[in-house]
Amino acid sequence: METEDYLDLRIDEFLDRLAEGGRAPGGGSAAALAVAFAAGLVAMVARCSRGSWEDAAGVAAQSLAIKERAAQLARTDADAWQQASAALGEAGADGDAEGRDRELEQKLGHAAAVPLEIAELGADAAALAALVGEYCEGAYRADAAAAAALASGGASAAAHLVQVNLTVQEGDERLKRARASEQAAAESAKRTLASIR
Amino acid sequence: MSQLSTLSDAELVQRCREGNTDAWNELVERFSRYVYAVCTRGYRLSEEDADDVFQEVFTRVFTHLDTLRNDAALRPWIAQLTRRLCLDSITKRGREQATDEPMAEELAADLAEIDEAFTVREALATLSDTCQEMLDRFFARDQSYRTISDELDLPSGTVASRIARCLSKLRTELEGRNEGPRGSRG
Repeated sequence: METEDYLDLRIDEFLDRLAEGGRAPGGGSAAALAVAFAAGLVAMVARCSRGSWEDAAGVAAQSLAIKERAAQLARTDADAWQQASAALGEAGADGDAEGRDRELEQKLGHAAAVPLEIAELGADAAALAALVGEYCEGAYRADAAAAAALASGGASAAAHLVQVNLTVQEGDERLKRARASEQAAAESAKRTLASIR
Repeated sequence: MSQLSTLSDAELVQRCREGNTDAWNELVERFSRYVYAVCTRGYRLSEEDADDVFQEVFTRVFTHLDTLRNDAALRPWIAQLTRRLCLDSITKRGREQATDEPMAEELAADLAEIDEAFTVREALATLSDTCQEMLDRFFARDQSYRTISDELDLPSGTVASRIARCLSKLRTELEGRNEGPRGSRG
């Protein structure tokens, strides 16, 4: 089962898909794109500050890498969630129950791994936003703050998706990592927003 | 990293001419992936044909190294030799233009991409081990700043800045590659 590639859609088409009644795209894809938007903004701010900041090009390159990864995860998350949902739907059927349980666990596990990656990218995008907020040219500080807020929102949404995954229990290493990313992103955003008011 | 790996191509050629076996091994190591990539990704040779071309390229490099007029032009020379031998291999096979055989434009783009990748790889090799490690972890292994910070025991808030500085050094190295001998490891 494969979803369409959201990156080929126009923004309004993607938003229409998001608003439709289907299983995907959902929160994970939206979180991934929020992080991608944040990273794109960071790259823009860094590129516009190249004249006054020697690390700007290197920060822009990192932001672009994060943007690419996060954008790809919009589809990966939808695929993972659709597959996990389908496996959940078949959980009570007759036949090889043990095999189905294993498959369900594996698919649910994948459905938790993707938002965890989105949360970590969100933390990284927020860290970069904080960095550009500190060193960029003044005219772009508000964009840096917007990027930090978006990245933090994406990380928080993704961390929540890890938390509610059926295979994730309290104390699970994945949940610890997701929460650490959420917290790191929130701290970066708070610092950036406070310094730019 | 061996000392030989920090030598410029011209210096390496010089050592090879002096009969230094380690230098020859380093030359093969330095260019083996490049030659193989041109054969398989550029000209889409089969594994068997690529192996044959690979052997022939390095045999000819070994036997004709004295004819190289500009020692710093080792890579363009190996590139030209590889391309010629790939074409010979295709001709020898007597293949008609197969559907998976690259068209001229596509081939040129693939070869340019391979060249660029190897230029970056060479430039990367001149950076400090820490810089190489950080760039590899972030850009090739997609690791997060937190993972890099934990595994390299670096303060978490400094990873992005350090990577940016490493990229800046890489850029300087790439821009200066044709202007003189290899720079110091930064």
